[in-house]
Amino acid sequence: MRSYTGKLIRINLSQGKSQIEDVPEALMKSFLGGRGMAAKYLYDELKPGVEPLGGDNKLIFMMGPLGATTAMSVSRMALVTKSPLTGTIAKSIMGGNFGAYLKFAGFDGIIVEGKAEKPTYIHIDKDGIHILDAGELWGLDTQQTHAKLRESHGKNTQVACIGPAGEKLVRYGIVISDRRCGGRTGVGTVMGAKKLKAIAVNSTGPLSLYDAEGFKKIAQGIIAELKTSPRRIKMSDFGTSYLTLGFEKMGIFPVKNFQEGHLEDVEKIGEEEFAKIKTKNDGCYGCMTKCGQVRQVTEGEYAGAVSEGPDYETIWSLGGNLANTELASLIAADSLCDKLGLDTVSAGNSIGFACELFQRGIITKKDTDGLELKWGDHGTMMKLVEKIAQREGFGQLLGEGTRRAAEKIGKGAEDYAMQVKGLELPAYEPRAVKGYGLIFATSNIGANHMYGRPREDLAGTTDRFADEGKGKDIARAQIGQAVEDSVIQCSFGPVTGLNPESRSQILVAATGFEEFGDPAYLNQIGERILCLERSFNVREGFNRKDDTLPKRMLTEPLENAGPATGQVFRKLDTLLDEYYDALGYTRQGIPSAEKLKQLGLE
Amino acid sequence: MSARVKLPPILQELSGGIEAPEVSGNTIGECLNNLEGQFPGIKEYLFDRRGRLLRIFGIYLNSDGLNPVELDTPVRENDEIVILNFLMGG
Ligand code: SF4
Repeated sequence: MRSYTGKLIRINLSQGKSQIEDVPEALMKSFLGGRGMAAKYLYDELKPGVEPLGGDNKLIFMMGPLGATTAMSVSRMALVTKSPLTGTIAKSIMGGNFGAYLKFAGFDGIIVEGKAEKPTYIHIDKDGIHILDAGELWGLDTQQTHAKLRESHGKNTQVACIGPAGEKLVRYGIVISDRRCGGRTGVGTVMGAKKLKAIAVNSTGPLSLYDAEGFKKIAQGIIAELKTSPRRIKMSDFGTSYLTLGFEKMGIFPVKNFQEGHLEDVEKIGEEEFAKIKTKNDGCYGCMTKCGQVRQVTEGEYAGAVSEGPDYETIWSLGGNLANTELASLIAADSLCDKLGLDTVSAGNSIGFACELFQRGIITKKDTDGLELKWGDHGTMMKLVEKIAQREGFGQLLGEGTRRAAEKIGKGAEDYAMQVKGLELPAYEPRAVKGYGLIFATSNIGANHMYGRPREDLAGTTDRFADEGKGKDIARAQIGQAVEDSVIQCSFGPVTGLNPESRSQILVAATGFEEFGDPAYLNQIGERILCLERSFNVREGFNRKDDTLPKRMLTEPLENAGPATGQVFRKLDTLLDEYYDALGYTRQGIPSAEKLKQLGLE
Repeated sequence: MSARVKLPPILQELSGGIEAPEVSGNTIGECLNNLEGQFPGIKEYLFDRRGRLLRIFGIYLNSDGLNPVELDTPVRENDEIVILNFLMGG
């Protein structure tokens, strides 16, 4: 008995058929779970050159070996596909309860293939897997969709769905389960292209563990320590909102589409202000921290707006990035994006891009449906969010993402598109933390803060402004993230209580695979996953030329950013060489034959 | 009273690399404020514009306490005030 269910569901929407398959043990041992196992299925099953929004693309939902157990903060779910934004492999990790209940229903994952002719949803319960008509759901927002499905299947139904943005093929549509998103890289858009509105699951089944007693002992020991951990409690009290003020001071918080690092009146969107209107915590299955901050606006033009957020990323994307310090508007916009099914990072970044084009006269009111785009104008921001999700007028263009929008606009607009490989940059100024810059440049899914964290640069044990000497650390950070995303453990370290040793022990108790008892073995899995994702991209034509940063990062010294003022990326090429060397890739950024062999990927 | 303030590496950017300067003060808050005399500008990176300690930092006394302490905590001679930073991102 292992904590893997050993089964997955394969659904072909073109044929209207589903089947249950065994998950090979060798796959578990080599790729662990979540992101790793899903990437392997995608690599093996997708032909190169497949159109991301066509029927040949696949969307994979995958749980990890600890998911649905009593261990803390390990029940998140990986979503993997080929991205409609980047054309690379895509991964996004979704929290909530959906994944745990899928495991209780007896499945580690779902592979969705083909394309339905008409709106469809999938219902999984003890009687089987049902492919059903979603005519009544199509067009509903994500909250309405959850409510309707619970009306039909019972209040304990767990749901993963898309909103109007995914249906209308905005390239950064999300998949959402209650208020927890698979937010980045357009996973919801792929679901929309398949005309799949939702997956609903009802389940009560038990989950097996290899060594239930041993598991309980380790898990309970960790929980006892976690209860009083100040770092965990801080996450519970404020979520990630506490980062804003500190990061702004350090010059890490980008302002006005990365034009500078100082935000006037930033305190107005600091954690204390958000805490004043907090009503409760919410979060993922099996997590005592529940970092989600439910907040409600009680007065003013946004009175009534409620959101489980915004988190640091969204405080930045719809706040600082747009020089918007109207806190209530952030709650309203965060809630609107969740309901419409939009990635807040790409949406806010795209709006920031448009504001800068307007500032520079590259676009005018003639291009924006008569809207004047001004920094700090939250009313216009709200209108643009709606327009993007509905693909209406100027929103149609912004819904393509900044890279495609810039190509269509021309006139040098691409210089102001803050993206890597087509994925919009998140809330970290690469020039102020060069380790983040290297992560964004080399990430196989485009610029994403969940593709590794430059711990040394953030702690200050390495010089965050140094132009050299980061390749090894960043390679290690990305390998570590690949392991975390495959376990799948929450990436907020202090909330899981796991360290490499305890993680190995608990994995052995859960799965019975002795190999997992060696942290070095898990690291090798992480390296294998990273290499496989890169190989996927190489097959699609990506190489060193794509491992880069927006021109601004390479040529414009950072302005008005405290201690980071004047920083610019002087030696990206040196950093890339270091990174490739650390991972055994050629100087073209391609895994060497020797490395592939060493990792068993030849 | 004088105490040592152990700075996290990211604040050593502002102390010229000095890891644990000695400062005077009767409370932790006073000691932190007094860092400014030795390293002009450092206060700006410890406190927000309303004078509250930034929550990316946690203050601990003598490394042995598991729980962070408040700014009004009294300081005894030769105490070590440890500042840790929580820059985890996400
Ligand atoms: S800390 Fe937050 S994101 Fe992490 S598992 Fe808990 S609720 Fe989910």
